[in-house]
Amino acid sequence: MKKNPSLQLSSPRRRTLLGGAIAGVGGAVVFGSSALFSSPALAAPQVGQAAPDFNIIDTQGKMRRLADMKGSIVVLEWTNADCPFVQKHYGSSNMQTLQKEATAAGVTWLSVISSAPGEQGHVNAAQANDIAARKSASPSAILLDPDGKMGRAYGAMTTPHMYVIDKEGILRYMGGIDSIPTTQVADLAKATPLFRNALQSVIKGQPVAQAVTRPYGCNVKYAS
Amino acid sequence: MPQRRYRFSSLLATVLMSLLVLGPKLAQGAETPPQTSPRATVTLVSDYDVVAPGQTVRIGLRQRLAPHWHSYWKNPGDAGAPPQIDLTLPAGAQAEDIAWPGPDRIAVGPAMNFGYEREVVFARTVTLPADAQPGQRFTVTAEARWLVCEKECIPEEGRFVLELPIAATPEAATGPVAASFADSDARRPAAHPWNSRLIAEGDSLVLEAEGRELTAATVKEAFFYPAEWGTVVHAATQGLLIDDGKLRLALTKGPSLPEQGNLDGLLAVTDNAGRTTWYETSLPFSLASNAGGAADDLPIWQAALFALIGGLILNLMPCVFPVLAIKATSLAGMVGAPPRELRLSGLFYTLGVLVAFLALAIALLVARSAGNAVGWGFQFQSPLFVAAMSWLLLAIGLNLSGVFEIGLGMSGTGQSLAGRSGHQGSFFTGLLAVVVATPCTAPFLGAAIGSALTAPVAVSLTIFAMMGLGLALPYALIGFFPGLARRLPRPGRWMLRLRQALAFPMYASAAWLIWVLAQQAGDQGVLIGLAGSLLIGLAAWLYGIAQEGGGRSWRLRGAALFVVLALAGLVPQLKETAAPDTVAPTADSGVTAERFTAARLAELRREGRPVFVNMTAAWCITCLVNERTTLSRPVVQTAMQESGVVYLKGDWTKYDPEITAFLRSFKHDGLPFYAYYPAGGGEARLLPPVLTESLVVDQFRPATGDRS
Repeated sequence: MKKNPSLQLSSPRRRTLLGGAIAGVGGAVVFGSSALFSSPALAAPQVGQAAPDFNIIDTQGKMRRLADMKGSIVVLEWTNADCPFVQKHYGSSNMQTLQKEATAAGVTWLSVISSAPGEQGHVNAAQANDIAARKSASPSAILLDPDGKMGRAYGAMTTPHMYVIDKEGILRYMGGIDSIPTTQVADLAKATPLFRNALQSVIKGQPVAQAVTRPYGCNVKYAS
Repeated sequence: MPQRRYRFSSLLATVLMSLLVLGPKLAQGAETPPQTSPRATVTLVSDYDVVAPGQTVRIGLRQRLAPHWHSYWKNPGDAGAPPQIDLTLPAGAQAEDIAWPGPDRIAVGPAMNFGYEREVVFARTVTLPADAQPGQRFTVTAEARWLVCEKECIPEEGRFVLELPIAATPEAATGPVAASFADSDARRPAAHPWNSRLIAEGDSLVLEAEGRELTAATVKEAFFYPAEWGTVVHAATQGLLIDDGKLRLALTKGPSLPEQGNLDGLLAVTDNAGRTTWYETSLPFSLASNAGGAADDLPIWQAALFALIGGLILNLMPCVFPVLAIKATSLAGMVGAPPRELRLSGLFYTLGVLVAFLALAIALLVARSAGNAVGWGFQFQSPLFVAAMSWLLLAIGLNLSGVFEIGLGMSGTGQSLAGRSGHQGSFFTGLLAVVVATPCTAPFLGAAIGSALTAPVAVSLTIFAMMGLGLALPYALIGFFPGLARRLPRPGRWMLRLRQALAFPMYASAAWLIWVLAQQAGDQGVLIGLAGSLLIGLAAWLYGIAQEGGGRSWRLRGAALFVVLALAGLVPQLKETAAPDTVAPTADSGVTAERFTAARLAELRREGRPVFVNMTAAWCITCLVNERTTLSRPVVQTAMQESGVVYLKGDWTKYDPEITAFLRSFKHDGLPFYAYYPAGGGEARLLPPVLTESLVVDQFRPATGDRS
């Protein structure tokens, strides 16, 4: 006769077995749900919370990871050289001025290109570097995101779309480069420089007055 | 190449631009000569050919767009920009802002834009000075800038001059210009005619409008266009629910919605003929005042009470039966144990149940906040989970059958109970009970979970905790009133027999889950599920032999472990197949059910036909029992046919956002779910989750009175 008809656990071995089984079920729940939730929708990161990490190749062939940039303020600029809204800010040197100002203050400025292959603004590393050189742009690096993973993680909607991440990796600003959503260079002088204001506040360690604003520009050309 | 294309396209743009700006378009009468590009033909138009002193006239930018190109509403959505029109007028004339026609939705990848395709007139109303001289000309100069986009966006601009003769009597424009104005006027937003309000529910804002004409027969579609960026998420699906005389539209809060204020925008309602009307809407809201009352139909204490009762009732649900088997064996084994042990065992079981409930609730809330339409019991929608559960239950069954023991021979029952590890077992049994039980939402649970999920997190978690408490209560009571335990028979051989007998419910459950797998993942799923079962059997057998001792037992154990690892290799194969899209997993062959879609339901209701809706899933045993014992019975089927009731059946075995949205519109979040829509388009009556023939048949009789 078997002595122990109970399912009660009585030895470490027992614990491991049933524990493992439960962990397996738990794992299945998590795994299953993540499969369920793989909707193509854009994520919406929250200001005041950790910015989504990324590990992505730049045009110099170097991997850039947000986690490795702790200690430096990080600016993300979504760009597409063929977008008229981007051309407004590069044609007027507004973007280049902001880049110089920021990098001089020790900020890491990352231009991100999320145009999918075959879509407007899609470029390889050499082309991206060439465009940057021709426009005298001075970002710290240009990130290539042709599969749109990083763009979707940040909910990047437009080019340009600007993000400021503080030294601790917390998202402090997301939104427009300024307040007048047009392609006219003449409007630059009249616009409130929302992004610049936010970056200045983060550099000074002050709270950002307008932390979420309307991004304006062309749609980011994700693969559809 | 792309680079050369880049240069070429910017060159082309420059050339075109300079051509476009070359000369102002000067015209007499209602329309200037056009400024054309491959994308758009643009003119400045007036709705009067001849104007009179003091009158108002509309001056508009008329855009005729190439196919697939669009321009934008005042809130362009996630990208783009609205046109700008600067007018230069003769002294004394006044111009109003652009009167924006109601826009359409234009989806671009994951983004949503608001704008116009084909043709649109952006008109500004201009008032002539009263002292304008008949016989002279009224000259309007427009400097306009607009953006046209297909996938790519091209900014365009133009300067137009319109010269309108002034006369004592005005003459309205005719022909294409008048037609173009008329088209855009058909989009002119109307005043909001309904009694409306905005309710904050969790991450949603629910726009509720009441009016007699709002019925399923008159409203096919509705969408709210926010006037400003950031108030609601443009691209989010807006769940629509129409009850007679009431429209509910669920909006997703945007990133810069203030705590309180007015939500402005256009509510677009499309009727069944496909005609859309836009209504100017401005609704005050306050997120703060609503935060506590999210469960607006049930006060919190009541929801908590229902949750407790619902949890208790869960113990009677077929889903939980296998777990009760485990619990029964362990209780049997505890006969004669010291009261303190009983108490601790009850406590740990309760703890296990609570932890599992809260973990599931948090997973669900997190998924929800990420914008996923998932419902209670959602884990059973994953074939992987179903397979894993089947294997786990099989393993437990094999253990009960004695194929392998867990820690056999170390000690007697009493001693093992005294060990602390016994409580860990209780804890895990509690966890397991919850995981298995969730697909059977008991009668009170549907409503409680529905309101719990929309409540603030703290309230929501309280409700889930109460539900867990209910489920654990019977065992906790045995623990705390040892008198109850003393009534259990003394230990003996019967315990072994009981244990062996209880293996069979486990096998039955494992077999059932393989069947569920067949619904979700087809033949391939069954193959993998059964192969996994085989491996579990093999591993259990090897492990059992190893336990019988001997010097080589470690090899056997290694082999058992290896077999279990092989099982892991099966898992990636298990994918949801595009399974046969038939009407559901049913127990009722030979019954004529139509597949549920919201569109079909709306159509039937429009026709005034009575409809019976059954939401089911292969993993919902209560659903299948109801079908077997009630819905597929001839009495019920005949009654349906005689009353002309259309039987719609929705299958939630796999994830289905449409069904999730439908359930949520009733504040329900689980199965079973039955609703009856009487003939003539009356309100839905909800049926209880456990059906009887007479209860269903009574619904179909006219004049059964109020039994919702």
